[in-house]
Amino acid sequence: MKTLTKEESSDGTEKGGTEMFFKKYGDIVVGIFFMALSAVMMVMAQMLPKSKVMEVGPEFMPMVIGVITFALAAALTFLSIKNFKMHNAEIKADDIEDCDYKRVLESVILMLVYVFMMKPVGFILSTLVFLFCQMMVLSPDDERGKKQAILLAVIDVVFTLVVFFLFRYGFKIVLPAGIFSINL
Amino acid sequence: MQALGLLGNAFVSIMHPASILLMIAGVAIGIVFGSIPGLSASMAVALMLPLTFSMTPSLGMNTLVAVYIGGISGGLISAILLNMPGTASSIATTFDGYPMAKKGEAMKALGLGIVFSALGSIFSFLVLTFCAPLLADVALKFTPAENFGICFFALTMVAILSSGNMIRGLLAGMLGLMFTLIGMAPIDGTARFTFGNPNLMAGFDTLPTLIGIFAISDILITAEAMGNGKLETIPINKVKGFGFSMKEFVYHLPNFLRSALIGTGIGILPGIGGSTSGMLSYVTAKNMSKHPEEFGKGCPDGIVATESANNATIGGAMIPLLVLGIPGDGVTAMMLGGFLIHGLSAGPLLFVKNGDVVYGIFAACIICTLIMLVVEWTCIKGFVQVLKVPKHILLPLILVLCCVGAYATNNRIFDVQSILIFGVVGYLFHKFKLPTTPFVLCFLIGSMLETYLRRGIMQYKSFGAFFTRPIFDAFFFVAVGVLVWSVFKELKTFYAKKKALG
Repeated sequence: MKTLTKEESSDGTEKGGTEMFFKKYGDIVVGIFFMALSAVMMVMAQMLPKSKVMEVGPEFMPMVIGVITFALAAALTFLSIKNFKMHNAEIKADDIEDCDYKRVLESVILMLVYVFMMKPVGFILSTLVFLFCQMMVLSPDDERGKKQAILLAVIDVVFTLVVFFLFRYGFKIVLPAGIFSINL
Repeated sequence: MQALGLLGNAFVSIMHPASILLMIAGVAIGIVFGSIPGLSASMAVALMLPLTFSMTPSLGMNTLVAVYIGGISGGLISAILLNMPGTASSIATTFDGYPMAKKGEAMKALGLGIVFSALGSIFSFLVLTFCAPLLADVALKFTPAENFGICFFALTMVAILSSGNMIRGLLAGMLGLMFTLIGMAPIDGTARFTFGNPNLMAGFDTLPTLIGIFAISDILITAEAMGNGKLETIPINKVKGFGFSMKEFVYHLPNFLRSALIGTGIGILPGIGGSTSGMLSYVTAKNMSKHPEEFGKGCPDGIVATESANNATIGGAMIPLLVLGIPGDGVTAMMLGGFLIHGLSAGPLLFVKNGDVVYGIFAACIICTLIMLVVEWTCIKGFVQVLKVPKHILLPLILVLCCVGAYATNNRIFDVQSILIFGVVGYLFHKFKLPTTPFVLCFLIGSMLETYLRRGIMQYKSFGAFFTRPIFDAFFFVAVGVLVWSVFKELKTFYAKKKALG
């Protein structure tokens, strides 16, 4: 029975290596991460100035949260190492899905550029570019033809302008104008 | 029964075409603001405020009430259809609303949400009309110690929410608490964990955080699944009426009553708010339910609980506002501004001097709720069309709206950037199978918890003195009991599972 499980999981490794990693070591990674995070937080909290007037100062809450987090994270790490084998036996190869990390990465980069360019370039221009690229990135492979691209471009332009003017005049919220310093 | 007579008079006086039309417009605007993530009910009220300058006091206040009610209720639409809460109050609606929509029951989920949010509002308005002065006295008895007790109690709910996977749930909650520490410490304003970045001084705002966790991570998760070309289209089952039978309605009634009571109760206490009441009643409904395992997988009970509670909060929040002149949250603070502009001073004398306006507001609340019910119900069919838009087009559009909404919260580009941080956090949560609910709950309550703790200690000199307050004791010991009980249950299931696996 055990060998069968192993075969299955090795199949899974070929299919989605990263997914298998998350399934197998996820808890341990989470535990260690939180242990490190809380430790850093406690050290930083100790450096905060103490309150002169009362016993509970600004460092109190961070310390409490830090201690509890550290204990929980240590427990999680300990339990998942201890039950490592038992946990792996539970993983079924069928559950593992293929993940398209290329699209995820592209989306994150696009958003990152978008939120940092919005102020200097302005809402209209940055949104026009971002929206089109993001829709193309998310489109399934068989829907990336010329026809679809034109449709997306039309949606893009209409939506951006509607949002900008709706907020400008309807909701009285002036979005970053950027390089267009026109007063519409 | 004097109240009943005054209420009757008020109904008659506001029943003229101009005021009805204004209320319909107000409700509609509120719904739009509520349903767009990032635009909140308080923003809608702030925007409408100048428009009411030229109106008579009662007309103006009624319009603002209409916007408020529409704004709180509108959040359920995007929560159910898009899995992103339009307002902070409807966070818990997403837990069961979106799974129901995925199963094709979007119409039913919306119908339930709309009906029970209307009932929740009406319940709280009746409480407001008949018991306002009485309840205001109770609210005055709440000192920081009691508020700390409530926050602590709400935090222990995390333990229940994450049963079956408690350590991970608690860790997720702890991360939420950590994020609330960033910025100026309450009371003394010491900068904590700001790394010299002036933008971090004010901490992370609630709305951008929620948008990031729900909306941005959703886009990344969709991107992840796109590779296989498996574009699932969500089916929409046709329904009659509101999509549920009389029998179901009766079945939900006890749940509704409990949740509406929780909502009104939380609403009365200044500073706690609709998002907490929604969460609390959701967890309570899960605990009381005969089938708790269905919660989170598209269980109608969850929607009923949250929507009854968050709308019941409105009536609750109006009690301290009208009787004491204390605003409980952003929206009621705006309303207080409205009172001042119209030369009304909220407080004990308001009932004596401007009784007609006060009862006019009560009547307007009830009428606006009915308008909300009708408006949302007629638009249900239109709302669900959103589900037909392919995800690769819909999600980027929502993302832009989210960015705009985040920007509009404080007119800071930093808030737009912070949604990306939380989007990535939400995505990592998904990858490492950490639950987001505890994170959100703790993030909402964290700063309140610390503020009330430190304020209480300032007032009572030591934490030990908190225990002389009976209301605090009740909350505190129930919370500890809940904690111990859920840890015990967790250990029991853990060992049972271990035994079964050998």
